[in-house]
Amino acid sequence: MKHIAQYLGLTALTIALLTGCSPSSDKPTTDDSSKAAGDTSAPAKTKGTIAYTPLTLSNPFFKVIGDHITAEAAKNGYDTLMVDPDMNVKKQSDQFDDFISSGVTAIILVPCDRLSIGPAVKLANAKGIPVFTVDAKCAAEGAEIAGHVGTDNFQGGELAGHAMIQALGENGGKVLILDFKKANSCVLRVAGFKKVVNAHNSSRTTGKIQIVAELNGNGARTEGYQSTADALQAHSDLDAVFAINDPSALGAYTAIEEAKKQDQIKIIGFDGQLDGKQGIKDGKIFADPIQHPDKMGQQIVQNIIKYLAGEEYEKDALIPATLYDKAAADQDPDLN
Amino acid sequence: MRNFNYIGFLFDYGTLLVLALLCGWFSYVTIEEQSPTSISAAERLAKRASGELSTEAKVIVLARQGGEGESFAKTLSEQLTQAGISVGSTTIGKPTDARKALTDFGNTGKELAGIIADKHMANFANANLAKLGQAHPGLVKAKIFQPESYRWPNFLKKENLLNVMKQISVVAIIAIGMTMVIITAGIDLSVGSLIAFSGVITALTIQSLGGSAPTSGDLWLGAMVGILVCGLAGLFTGGLVTLFRIPAFIATLGIMFIAKGLAFIFSDSAPVPVGNEAFGWLGRGRDFLGLPNSVILMLILFTIAHVMMTRTSIGRYIYAVGGNPEAARLSGVPVKWVLLFVYTLTGLLAGLGGVMEASLHTTGDPKSGDLVELKVIAAVVVGGTSLAGGQGRITGTLIGAFIIAVINNGMNLTGVESHMQKVIYGTVILVAVLIDRLKIHLLKLKKT
Repeated sequence: MKHIAQYLGLTALTIALLTGCSPSSDKPTTDDSSKAAGDTSAPAKTKGTIAYTPLTLSNPFFKVIGDHITAEAAKNGYDTLMVDPDMNVKKQSDQFDDFISSGVTAIILVPCDRLSIGPAVKLANAKGIPVFTVDAKCAAEGAEIAGHVGTDNFQGGELAGHAMIQALGENGGKVLILDFKKANSCVLRVAGFKKVVNAHNSSRTTGKIQIVAELNGNGARTEGYQSTADALQAHSDLDAVFAINDPSALGAYTAIEEAKKQDQIKIIGFDGQLDGKQGIKDGKIFADPIQHPDKMGQQIVQNIIKYLAGEEYEKDALIPATLYDKAAADQDPDLN
Repeated sequence: MRNFNYIGFLFDYGTLLVLALLCGWFSYVTIEEQSPTSISAAERLAKRASGELSTEAKVIVLARQGGEGESFAKTLSEQLTQAGISVGSTTIGKPTDARKALTDFGNTGKELAGIIADKHMANFANANLAKLGQAHPGLVKAKIFQPESYRWPNFLKKENLLNVMKQISVVAIIAIGMTMVIITAGIDLSVGSLIAFSGVITALTIQSLGGSAPTSGDLWLGAMVGILVCGLAGLFTGGLVTLFRIPAFIATLGIMFIAKGLAFIFSDSAPVPVGNEAFGWLGRGRDFLGLPNSVILMLILFTIAHVMMTRTSIGRYIYAVGGNPEAARLSGVPVKWVLLFVYTLTGLLAGLGGVMEASLHTTGDPKSGDLVELKVIAAVVVGGTSLAGGQGRITGTLIGAFIIAVINNGMNLTGVESHMQKVIYGTVILVAVLIDRLKIHLLKLKKT
């Protein structure tokens, strides 16, 4: 009998452990949703739920988009359901199933895979739930996307070009581009950059900006470092680097620092992630055209509200990038 | 002896109790206002509206496209017309269509008495009627009718429960093989990679057979090739484990890397599309009583496996090998053949899982299946199968898989972020193993 009592106790304990852990961990979100609803539900109950499944929430960029979606949705009387597919398209389409069965009003998607997410989007289409994309587009055939909001990467590249002209001044110089051809957004950034640089060169005979190499930086520190180190071997008189994002720009800085050329070589990055901004403040990076995830989140919700009201809206909206330089970094309260 | 059975019973149903508690919890936290769009809801709504409106009143019917929208709107307008209400127009579409229907009516200059709509369109009308009324005064007095809502957990909707089963079907099917492998005191880490491998092989075979427009014969053949190739990989693993006595952990770790690498090499690192929508039949189709085909397949395979493990000699052999391989060998159990069998079967089932996943997306994706092996092992262990071998049940694995699926689904419904999901998975696995250890410990206590 004693054993049975022991048993019962232990079973109860384990079950309490199990269930006790899920409620407590759920609390933050239930609180969140009630908070989101609470802002508006005082006068009227929530009008519905807007679901958001980005590429991954580990990247702060998508988290900022999500937070602004939540805020803007609450302002308009909608709840938000934010989930994380962890870059896994199977998880993302499972989340679509769950969204559909719980009857959400609209879905905001950053596709984990621009093709494989197609069947899930079609399923939502068949149920009449509008699907919007943010940042990256869905390219699956027959999948109907009600609207898209992204960054104007070409214009951002142009800004980078102007910053480069400013950084190099009258003398011009030799430039290395660290690109990432797999991502269409990065190809556009380089195209915008080249357009401005070429226009600058065509109007002058001396002090031209010469692009001496375009290497793959893979959008990452490691490859940004390696490619820059290699380029420094080939072009010891390099004057500047344009990297298509902050990690590869910071990788380039490591290589330049190693070669003790940090006073000679200027770096233009892209994105405006926190460590990139810090790099600008510390003088490692000259300037960044930055994206505006906050505006992207607000814009996409505003478009959804217009869609639901049957009003016109821009089906393919681009948010312009802006230039972030040392002066801006010195004023930035988020940096130390 | 009576006490022992009682304790065993308690442990057997412990996991079931956990499942029930999880279901209860998620039902509780997902209770929400629901608005029906069934035909009977349309009938009730039509009755209510016609009761409140005078005959010959002019109304328009609005419903969102898709799902039950069409039957809902049709039923509404039929019933309203029968009741003598004049239905100006019936719109099944997007909010823009609804706006157009309202402005069109407004342009006629007549007075609109009512808008009969589903929840979405009623929301639209509530938000926009006042503004539209400024340009079209005929609309201002319209009364908006929508189905009466009721409170019901999103978790307990039929559609959601089917989702839970559908989402776990691949993991659960592979877990059948994994249960047998673990009962023989082995492990198979390669199943996740085999999912990707099988999907890619299947899609490539279909492409090479039928190009961009494969026939259904090509689809079947491609699926068979994908499954069989993975069966061969499983056979190879079994060979490494039995003939060369390589520990299963190491042998399957090797296969895991090889299969994943080959999946990327063969597919050129890009998802391989299958050019025939019919390929989605297995992953997304619903042919029987509205049940997803993948769920039916899962239930059939579990039934077969359960019978095999409890009623046939191969089942008894598998338990014997795991309990004590030396004793099994001495009593005439063909240990090596049994091991070859379980690894090959697991390979075949992983191949089937790969085909199912490729079917779901109509693409063979080399990125798919990542970390699925751990989910499969988790399902088996949570289901009460002992990693020490010799003990475990197929039904327990099914319950274990459901526990994992319910946690996953419930957290998606409530929006728990994925890092917390991992913490919870980990806790569930640890608790399950803890129960397992306690069971062994207390069984020993009982015997002495």
